Amino acid sequence: MTTRPLLEITDLSVTYWGRSLLGLQGKPFFAVKGANLAIRAGETLGLVGESGSGKSSIANTVLGLVPASSGSIRFGDHDLVAMKTRYPSEVRNQIQAVFQDPYSSLNPSMTVEDIVTEPLRVHTNMNKAERRKRAVELLNLVSLQEEHLARHPHQFSGGQRQRIAIASALALRPKLIVLDEPVSALDVSTQNQIINLLYERRDALGIAYLLIAHDLALVHHISDRIAVMYLGYIVEEGPSDRVYKNPAHPYTKALLDAVPLLDPDRQRARRASRKLQPAQDTQRVADVGCPYKNRCPMVMPRCQTETPPEYPVAGGGVANCFLLAPEVGVTHATKPFRQEPIPT
Amino acid sequence: MTVGNAESAGAVGKPWRINASNVLVGVAVSILALLVFLAVFADVIAPYDPLRQNLINSLQGPSARHWLGTDDLGRDVLSRLIYGCRIAVIAAAEATAIAVALGVPIGLFIGYRGGWWDWVVMRIVEAIVSIPGIMVAIVIIAILGPGLHRAMIALGILFSTSFLRLARGVVLAEREEIYVRSARVIGATDSRILFRHIFPNIAPPLIVQVTLTVGAVLLSEAGLSFIGLGVQPPQASWGTMLNTAAAFMQLNWFLSIPPGIAIILTVLSVNLLGDVLRDSIGRGIAAAAPEGRTATFEPSRSAASPAARPETLENEVLRVEGLDVMVGSDPGLPIITDLSFSIAQGETLGLVGESGSGKTMTGLAILGLMGAGLRITRGSIVLDGIDLRCLASAEIEKLRGDEVAMVFQDPTTSLNPAFTVGSQIAEVLRAKQGLSQRQAWERAVALIERVGIPQPEARAKAYPHELSGGMAQRIAIARALSCNPSLLIADEPTTALDVTVQQEILDLFRDLQDEFGMAILFITHDLAVAADICDRISVMYAGEMVEMAGVDTLFHDPKHPYTAGLLSAMPHASDRNPPLPTIRGNVPRPGAWPAGCRFSNRCDFAVATCKQPIALTGGERLVRCVRADQLDLRPGT
Amino acid sequence: MFRLILQRLLALAPLLFIVSVLTFSFTSLLPSDPVDLILGDTGTEEQHEMLRERMGLNEPIHVRYLQWLGRALQGDLGSSYFNSVSVMDAVMQRLPVTLSLTAVSAFIAIVVGVAAGVAAALHPRSWVDRFATLGATFGQAIPNFWFGLILVAIFAVSLRWFPATGFTPITVSPWEWLRSVILPSIALGTSSSAAIARQVRSAMVGVLQQDYVRAARAQGLSARRVLFKHALTNAMIPVVAVLSFQITVLLGGALIVEQVFAINGLGTLAIAAVRQQDIPMLQGLVLVMVGLVVAVQLATDVIYGLLNPKARPT
Repeated sequence: MTTRPLLEITDLSVTYWGRSLLGLQGKPFFAVKGANLAIRAGETLGLVGESGSGKSSIANTVLGLVPASSGSIRFGDHDLVAMKTRYPSEVRNQIQAVFQDPYSSLNPSMTVEDIVTEPLRVHTNMNKAERRKRAVELLNLVSLQEEHLARHPHQFSGGQRQRIAIASALALRPKLIVLDEPVSALDVSTQNQIINLLYERRDALGIAYLLIAHDLALVHHISDRIAVMYLGYIVEEGPSDRVYKNPAHPYTKALLDAVPLLDPDRQRARRASRKLQPAQDTQRVADVGCPYKNRCPMVMPRCQTETPPEYPVAGGGVANCFLLAPEVGVTHATKPFRQEPIPT
Repeated sequence: MTVGNAESAGAVGKPWRINASNVLVGVAVSILALLVFLAVFADVIAPYDPLRQNLINSLQGPSARHWLGTDDLGRDVLSRLIYGCRIAVIAAAEATAIAVALGVPIGLFIGYRGGWWDWVVMRIVEAIVSIPGIMVAIVIIAILGPGLHRAMIALGILFSTSFLRLARGVVLAEREEIYVRSARVIGATDSRILFRHIFPNIAPPLIVQVTLTVGAVLLSEAGLSFIGLGVQPPQASWGTMLNTAAAFMQLNWFLSIPPGIAIILTVLSVNLLGDVLRDSIGRGIAAAAPEGRTATFEPSRSAASPAARPETLENEVLRVEGLDVMVGSDPGLPIITDLSFSIAQGETLGLVGESGSGKTMTGLAILGLMGAGLRITRGSIVLDGIDLRCLASAEIEKLRGDEVAMVFQDPTTSLNPAFTVGSQIAEVLRAKQGLSQRQAWERAVALIERVGIPQPEARAKAYPHELSGGMAQRIAIARALSCNPSLLIADEPTTALDVTVQQEILDLFRDLQDEFGMAILFITHDLAVAADICDRISVMYAGEMVEMAGVDTLFHDPKHPYTAGLLSAMPHASDRNPPLPTIRGNVPRPGAWPAGCRFSNRCDFAVATCKQPIALTGGERLVRCVRADQLDLRPGT
Repeated sequence: MFRLILQRLLALAPLLFIVSVLTFSFTSLLPSDPVDLILGDTGTEEQHEMLRERMGLNEPIHVRYLQWLGRALQGDLGSSYFNSVSVMDAVMQRLPVTLSLTAVSAFIAIVVGVAAGVAAALHPRSWVDRFATLGATFGQAIPNFWFGLILVAIFAVSLRWFPATGFTPITVSPWEWLRSVILPSIALGTSSSAAIARQVRSAMVGVLQQDYVRAARAQGLSARRVLFKHALTNAMIPVVAVLSFQITVLLGGALIVEQVFAINGLGTLAIAAVRQQDIPMLQGLVLVMVGLVVAVQLATDVIYGLLNPKARPT
């Protein structure tokens, strides 16, 4: 437990700049604020949140597609923020990605062989025959065959395209793969095929995943740890089972409660316990106080003025909620009863 | 000058040309081939020297010696026309080449680089474009002097702006594509991304733009020569010939005909070629067959199968029986086959299925809004005792809104972006219920309040893009319920929303149903959502219903292997680690459905009899599986 | 509304600046020296130098630009090198002619184009669609000046319905004005109406597939209402966006078509100026035309903003 994490994100902020009238820099917009995360080698971190929560901004920043405005990202011995978005080859070839939409993530004008071997062309001196041999290996890893090499992406179904994207991401034997909503565009009956594939490959190759998704249940299946984001802030982080079964932050609870259950009886019981909600303004509130204060059923006066820091949670992890503050005491169900060192 | 008409007209629909395109392309290519042939062999083919004057024979009409007559200096018009081809080809090639060579690299560069480079160059391009093209050409000719080659440099510079914008536009569009993001993640250098990943995608629109530019260059060259700034006399070009013809219009109008026809035919040919190219490129990717798609048309239904019909319900609002929907012309592909169900007042029936199951099409079929190419070939749709298939379209129009309304998947696209949300609800009330403008507005505000939107007066004046997805969906629901319909069709109404908002919307549906008492046909791909909102659920797969049961029965005791598979594949079905249960293979597309049971090629329980057409069997609960009675598919067993 | 206009005006400012720089700087690109042009081979070295000094040609280029710009902003565009006529006067005198042609042809192009485009989009694959599409294809292939010649031959020379040449100012006789501009405007407007028709058709076909059109139909609104209110409003957005471009094309086309009808507009002025390398005249012409285009652009931008709520300032 003392080994240094593979990826360590500290106090990361990402800011986008709007465009003013003349197409010049305009108002700032905070996509991510003060995020802390860590992923160990071979471990999967699930990053969960609704649209606009900033989870994809974190992914894009780790990938060097979007510059960080402050904070640090350490990957192995490299400081990624200092590199801006120009990662050297030895960093690039260790961090790969699989994106959400399998219909636009593969270049329509390239063959499967081109797509899968593109990383090899960029980063290795392999000749064509070697690359082809590796391409066949990679396709086999994702349950596709050699005969698929010459085809174009439009000849495949969504699930198959996602397999091709995974094969390409595995080509350089990376240490970290960022998975940005890898199955949410797929049919329900094919989603699990891809999840199983990712899980198998991770265990066989010892890759760490940063898994971005909106579905807590799905993330829970293959993550070791889960972090929950809301409007640019990470509000809770901890071991997968603990976050899924014993959420500490009111938002995480709301998120879990909102997912309909497959059992109509239990769903009816849950429904009876909640009341009709008016429409919410999900616009960003002023940068003071807790990001969740406007929707939180347990909001307290101090939530309006202070931004909650990280408090340790029983069973591991942290949550940014004053309900966990030692002085609040018994009001909260999952009150920490045992202090545990923050794992990062 | 038709500078930049290139940007006009999208690829959408010129369907009639698809049929005629082969003939037209043939004609266009022949004309252009003839043009090039004449240009190359003008010296051999032309009957006379185009510059040889014969003042005695001036301004003659067509004759055996001079097929197209002679001009004011007695020069043979046919010969001049043929030599004009040479000028036309040189002009088109020169100006287009300059435009491409200048515009494409700059456009690629600024598009990829962005920032200040882009800003400055684009402002300059805008400035050039805001000066009429002919004036730009005139100014450039003022600098360079008149003459064919100089005029073509002028036109080349002028038209380079369209290529610049095209290249930049493609780069900007492609740059946002995820595959370019993937390439950056891989670590490909900028130039590699630009030339290997982006550039291949620029070729198709570039080819189209070239054809359009050739046409525009020909017209412009003729125009410049006509006003004496292009090709200089006595050299023969179509423009200078028209210049001459204009001067002698009163004496011999025929002089204007041959060069005019030559210009029109040539420009028409290139433009036609461009259009056909654009259309075929547009269809190229869309129409490409996905893997495994075969043209196996199964007989739509076995006559022998004793199809079970849904039982008649009390207070039945909607009854669909034996519905068949086909796409395309004869015989077409089946999209929905033999679909039957009914919904009672105050009841919610879920229509659950994955992509291609036909669930959305069912909703649109009830409304009579399936769109072009789709048609109901069999069956009946009875709403409040009226068979909709027997009604004229004007009568169905009357029922829509009043008796049946629909809520769509994406609220941000199903509300008109150009009008305020309040006016869109009020419009329905005025059109359907004849309310006055003020009454309608007040009622709209009340409805907006009813669906749980705070500050309804202010929100009514908002435009759709100013609202969050959840609010916009509430507005869409308010509009659908404005005339108190007896049936509400909700097509994936929560799929585009966040999960916490989804829960609010589902609660709202239930609450509104308690008050308004409408029947809801709830279409979704998410069984868990269906578990929350529906009373009964009908599971669809590949265009047919495979199972229908009350919600508790279905979840506790699924009878069809597909239903059971779908249930176990839901993310919340288990909290164990992978491997998670899967259904092997992929959802087949229409046209690639297996014969017999359409799920048989993915089913773990398939037997030989599954190759036969399977009927829906049962009474209160229906299932389409020959082994329904043998299998125990209950979750956890 | 006011903020919308102000915003558009601000957005057009860099454009005007760049056009003025481009227009001014092409003086220095011209192969010949204006002093040589005016004095020709005559005159002594001193006379050349004196004139150069008097014209301010010895000043640094940015000083000359600012002086020129300052005068231009006050409406002084200098005078022609050849007949000492004030450029502003010469241009303003011809402007109504070219403007008449452009305005009438724009009116024809928009009315015919929108009507044909909508008709074609409403009945895809019908004979209306085929006819409109075919007409548009031909319309875009016919050179406007040639079409003018043919119109003259038929309607002026043979049928004598319209005058073959010349222009009557609207202040003299509105009826004669219309008669004098109708043939050139048809010749000029045909290709633009074809272009607009194609744009309207494709925009309309696209809009008709949108969810909100389907949703409006699902609410039981009549097909006509959905078409003309919901669909057309949105379909016109992309069309309006390129309308100022079409009008720019018409303005340029007018320069050529004027020649066919022997109408003394800006075209004749421009052709004479380019032959004589009359720099102030060319500069003045470009600036006035850009001024017109910018005014049109401003108008279409505002209409665009009114049609498209997303484009309004917040």
